[in-house]
Amino acid sequence: MKFIHLADVHLGAVPDRGTAWSGSREEEIWTTFRRIIAGIRENPVDLLFISGDLFHRRPLRKELREVNSLFAAIPETNVYIIAGNHDHLDAGSAYRSFKWAENVVFFDSEEVMCIDDDRMPVTVYGFSLCENEIREPLLRDVCPEEGDGYHILLAHGGDEKHVPIDFTALASAGFDYVALGHIHKPQVIVKDRIIYPGSPEPLDRNETGPHGYVEGFTDDDGIIHTRFVPAAARTYEDITLELDEETTQNDLEDTLSDMIAESGLQNIYRVVLTGQRSPDLMLLPEKLKNCGNIVDIRDESRLMYDLEMLEKKYAGTLVGDYIRYFSLKDTTEVEEKALDYGLQALLETSMR
Amino acid sequence: MLIKKITIHNFGKIHNRTFDLSEGINVLYGENESGKTTVHTFIKGMLYGIPRQRGRAAANDIYRTYEPWENPGEYGGTIWFEAGGMSYRLTRNFSRERRFGELLCEDTGALVDPDEGALDEILGNVSEAVYDNTVSVGQMKSVTGQNLVRELQNYMAGYEGSADSTIDIERASQMLKMTRKGYQVQENRRKKALEAEQIRIRSGIGYLEEEEKKLQKREKAIRHRMKEMSPAGEGENAFDVKMQKMQQNAQTYLLLSVIAAVLPVIAAIVLKQPAFKVCSAAAAVLILVFGVFKRNSALREIDRIGEYKAKWEERYAKMSWDLEHTKQALAEKRSAIENMQEELDEGEDALYQESSEQREIKALSLALETITALSGNINARIGMHLRTRTSRILSGITGGKYSVVLMDENLKMAVNTEERVVPLERLSRGTLEQIYFALRMAAGELFCGDTPFPVILDDVFGSYDEDRLQALLRWLHNEDRQVMISTCSGREAELLRGDGIPFNEILL
Repeated sequence: MKFIHLADVHLGAVPDRGTAWSGSREEEIWTTFRRIIAGIRENPVDLLFISGDLFHRRPLRKELREVNSLFAAIPETNVYIIAGNHDHLDAGSAYRSFKWAENVVFFDSEEVMCIDDDRMPVTVYGFSLCENEIREPLLRDVCPEEGDGYHILLAHGGDEKHVPIDFTALASAGFDYVALGHIHKPQVIVKDRIIYPGSPEPLDRNETGPHGYVEGFTDDDGIIHTRFVPAAARTYEDITLELDEETTQNDLEDTLSDMIAESGLQNIYRVVLTGQRSPDLMLLPEKLKNCGNIVDIRDESRLMYDLEMLEKKYAGTLVGDYIRYFSLKDTTEVEEKALDYGLQALLETSMR
Repeated sequence: MLIKKITIHNFGKIHNRTFDLSEGINVLYGENESGKTTVHTFIKGMLYGIPRQRGRAAANDIYRTYEPWENPGEYGGTIWFEAGGMSYRLTRNFSRERRFGELLCEDTGALVDPDEGALDEILGNVSEAVYDNTVSVGQMKSVTGQNLVRELQNYMAGYEGSADSTIDIERASQMLKMTRKGYQVQENRRKKALEAEQIRIRSGIGYLEEEEKKLQKREKAIRHRMKEMSPAGEGENAFDVKMQKMQQNAQTYLLLSVIAAVLPVIAAIVLKQPAFKVCSAAAAVLILVFGVFKRNSALREIDRIGEYKAKWEERYAKMSWDLEHTKQALAEKRSAIENMQEELDEGEDALYQESSEQREIKALSLALETITALSGNINARIGMHLRTRTSRILSGITGGKYSVVLMDENLKMAVNTEERVVPLERLSRGTLEQIYFALRMAAGELFCGDTPFPVILDDVFGSYDEDRLQALLRWLHNEDRQVMISTCSGREAELLRGDGIPFNEILL
C-alpha cells in the first residue's frame, strides 16, 4: 500500500501581501498542488489523504470543480478529504452540496465517520471542522473499530483553539497512522505514526525551512514507513548579518547578495542585523531589500559605544544622565534603540 | 585641588621636563608650538587616562597624537597634587604595551590602582566631561562676530540644558527628528499600501453585495411568479382535478342524454301517429347528438387542459431549476463575501501590527522625550544659578560696567549696562570674550561643587586689551584658586608684576 498525506495546502492564500512576489506566491500554491497531483498520475498511489485546509478560505463552487477535476484525473487513487478551520464546513459551505468524483470521499460531518476503502484493506476515519474555533478535544475518545486492515485517522487541529489533542492518548488509541493537519511546519509527533506534513508551500515569513508532503508505504511485513518529500517552489530563510566596527553599507549589501545567491535567489529572506556597528556607519536597512526577496529586516545591532566608559566620562552632564537613565533599568528593545539614537545624536552634534 | 609638580617623561614633543607649580597664579610662557597645550593635555591625561579609540577613529585620537616618536614605551610621567588635605603622587605610563598606573598617598603610604575608583573619589567624582567644561578653558574657536555670538549662545545653551557647553541639544534634536521623519515617510508608505488594499477589498465586497442583492431580487421574483402560476395555491393538482371533473362531466353528459333519449324513444314506440313517431325519434336523436356533442367538447377540453398542464409543468420545472440555481449562486456569493470580510479583518490586523518602522519611530520619540526631560532637570538645577554667577563674575571683571546676563525664551543672551539692555550682536569681541570667560568660571564653580579645581587658561587672552586683561588678572588673584595661564606674550607677567600680584613663572 502506498499513500500520500497532504495538509494545509491553503489554495487561494496570498502570502506577503504588498511585496513584489506576492502574486506569484498565490499562483505557486496552486501550481505546487497541481504538480503533486500530476506526480500521482505518473506514479499512482493507492490513497491520498488531505487533512484539512485544502483551501485558505471556505471554497467556492468553481474552486471545488477545479480540484475535483484534478482528482478525477487520478482514478486509481482514492482521495480522502476533511475540512479544516480555514475551509470549515459552515451552513452555506459549498462542500455540503458538492458532487465529488467517484474516487473522492469527503467527510462532511463533525462526528468521526469511518469508511472502508473499496480497494485496499484500509479503514479511514475522519471528521471535518464546522467552525473556525473549536476548543473541544474532539479526538479524546476516538479509537479504531475492531477489524483487520489498516486503521487510518484524518484530523485537523491540535492547538488550544482548534481541537486540542492529547498526543500521548492519541498514540495509544490504536491507529496505524494518523494523518494530521493544521501545523504549517512539518512535524513528526510519533515516527511513521502521527505526523503533521506541513504546508506544501510555506505561507508566511515565520514558516522557514523545507516544505512538502509525506509519502507512506508498507514494507514486506506490512509495517508503515513514511518519508518527507520536499515540494515547495521556494522557502523562507533567516539570514543573520553580524556587524562590526569596520562594516560599511556596501559590505552589508555585498555579503547579503552573496549569501542570497548561495542559498537560492528564489527564496524569501528574513534578515536580522546583530553585532556592534560604528557610529560612522550610515545604516540604511531599507536599501538592503534590493539584494533579493527580503520580507523583513530587523536591526538588532547596537552602536559600538562603551557605555560604561561614556557614562563615567560624562557624569554630571546631560550625556551622563542620559546613559544613566537607561542603564538603571532592564531595557526593552525600543529603549536600547532610544539610548543609541539619543547618544549618537548628542555626541555627533557635539562640538568637542 | 592643588597641582604641585609635574614631571613629563615622554609626552608629545616634551621629554623629561619637570615643572613646579604654586598656589595662586602660574604663568606658563612659551613660543607658539612650544608645547603649552601638550602640558594641559598631559595633566588631563594623568587625571583621566588616555583610552585608545576603536576602529577608524583610532587613527587620529589623543593617544596617537601625543605618542612619542622616540621611546614610545616610556609614554607618560608623574604628577604631584593635594586634594582633601592629603598629598598624592600619580604615575602613569600610557603606552599600549607597558600600560601602568600607580597612585600613592604620600601621607598614609597607601598605594592603589588609580583606575579602580580611588582617583575618581579624590577628584570629587568630577567627570572628564565636567573637567573639559570647567577646568580647562580654551580660546573661543570662532573668529567673526556673528559666529562668535552664535558660539557663545551655544555655550550658554549647552550649559543650561546639558551642563556641557559642547552639547547642542537643538541640533541633536534636529538630527533625531530628521531620522524620525525618514521612518515616518516609510511607515506612511507602508500604511497607504495596506489601506489601498483594504479599499480594494471593500469595493470588492460592495460589488459582491450588489450582485447578492440582484440575486435576492431575482429569487423573490421567481418565487412570486411560481406562486402566481398556481392560483389559490392549488398547484399542479388543480389541472388533474379539473380534468377529472371534465371526465366526469363527459360521462354525465352521455349518460344524461341517453337517459333523456329514453322518453322520446318510448314515445316513438308507443305513439301511433307516424308524425309523432318521427318527431319523437328525431327528438331522441337530437338529444343523443347533443349529449355526444357535449361529451366530445368535454373531452376536447380535457385534451386542452392536458396540453396546458404539460406546458405549465415544463415552465414550472424551469422555474424551479432557476430558483435552485439562484439559491446556489446566492450561497456562493455569501461565501465569497464572508471570505473577503475575513481578508479585510486580516488586513486590519496587519495595519495595527507594529512594524519595524514604528519601532524605530517609537525609539526616536523616546530619545527626544528623554533628552528634553533630562535637559529640563539640568536646567532647573543649574539654569538660574549659572546666570546669577555669570552676571556676578562679568560684573567683577568689567568693573561693574556690564552686569546682568539675560536670556529670553529663545535662549538669546543679552547684557545689561547701567542704561540699557544690549544684545550680544552689538558687543565687541573683547566683551564677548569676557562674557565667555565669566560663563566658564561660573560653570566651574557650579559643576565642580565642593572640590575647587585649578583653572587652566590656555591662550585665552589674545583679544583682550590691556584694561580688560588687568581687570581680569586682579579678579583671578582675588578668587584664591590655583590658576594656570599659558601664553606666548609677556603681557600677563608684565601686568601682574605691575600690580604687585605674586605669581609663579614657568618657561617652556
